[in-house]
Amino acid sequence: MKPFFDMDSAAYRMLMEGLNRQYSFEKKGNLADFAVYNDDLWLADTAVIQNVHRFKGEWAVDLLFVSIHTPLRFIRRHITSHPCPKRALQKAEYMRRLAAKDQRGTLVAKVELLKLCHN
Amino acid sequence: MYSTKQRIIEASVRLFNENGMDSVRLQQIAEEVGISIGNLAYHYKNKEMIVASVYEQVIEEFNEILRQYLANPTLADFDSQISQYYHFFLRNHFFLPEFFKNNRTQLQHQAEWQACIRKMNIQIRSRLGFMVVQGYLSPETSDELYDVLSEQIWMSIAFFVPKCNLTGQPSDEGAYKKCVWGLIKPHFTAHGKQEFYNLIQSYWWI
Repeated sequence: MKPFFDMDSAAYRMLMEGLNRQYSFEKKGNLADFAVYNDDLWLADTAVIQNVHRFKGEWAVDLLFVSIHTPLRFIRRHITSHPCPKRALQKAEYMRRLAAKDQRGTLVAKVELLKLCHN
Repeated sequence: MYSTKQRIIEASVRLFNENGMDSVRLQQIAEEVGISIGNLAYHYKNKEMIVASVYEQVIEEFNEILRQYLANPTLADFDSQISQYYHFFLRNHFFLPEFFKNNRTQLQHQAEWQACIRKMNIQIRSRLGFMVVQGYLSPETSDELYDVLSEQIWMSIAFFVPKCNLTGQPSDEGAYKKCVWGLIKPHFTAHGKQEFYNLIQSYWWI
């Protein structure tokens, strides 16, 4: 005869709760909810800003895409990382020029558009 | 083709159901299977070993039903589990009275059976909770309402077949299901009622 195994009642109760939760109770979403993925036209009018910072012992290269019309609309993407800071800066520059619409960097996010209050 | 061991177990279950566990002799089991008593002794040394194997198989069968919990998130899932419980208790109705016997020390199969029953209770309660979240059942209006209901459902599921034996009525799956669902029905929401009619009640008459 097989040895008897019994699960603790409280643990079994929790297991059942977990099984109950495997089905989502939320309502279906709308297609409009996915607009954030499809609506990328605004990315054409963005200033691309490179950002190099230390991350997990390496120099991480991030690019920041900031809308030139409304600077609060931006996304940040991690591109690559490098152990050497100079090489990281070099890579950041190359990646920025590759990603930007205008390689010369004429598209800039103006700080005035943020309408900061200095009071 | 079944193995001889399997045939012996099946014949034993049949005989235990018909005559009760204590009154069945090895000779009868051998005759039922169609083998000699010597051959039977080759597979199982004595009746205790047969009984232990029968218990093992029955408990495995019961665990298989427990494993069917929430295979899909509809009321039909519980309905199919009720069907399986019905066939289980019908097939093994010799089984329940064995656990009412008093033993000074608890036997292993009794402990296993108790564990199964505990799990079954928890499952029923958990399923009621699931139905509430899904909107099939109205939220609990008083403390322990569904705790008590789950106990009642368990009693209906487990003791319907012995009750039929006791009263001499033939047991019927439709009546069994009605008895169990009848306990849950008063607590249905409008959505639950609609779902119940669409998925379950409309199939009862087919």
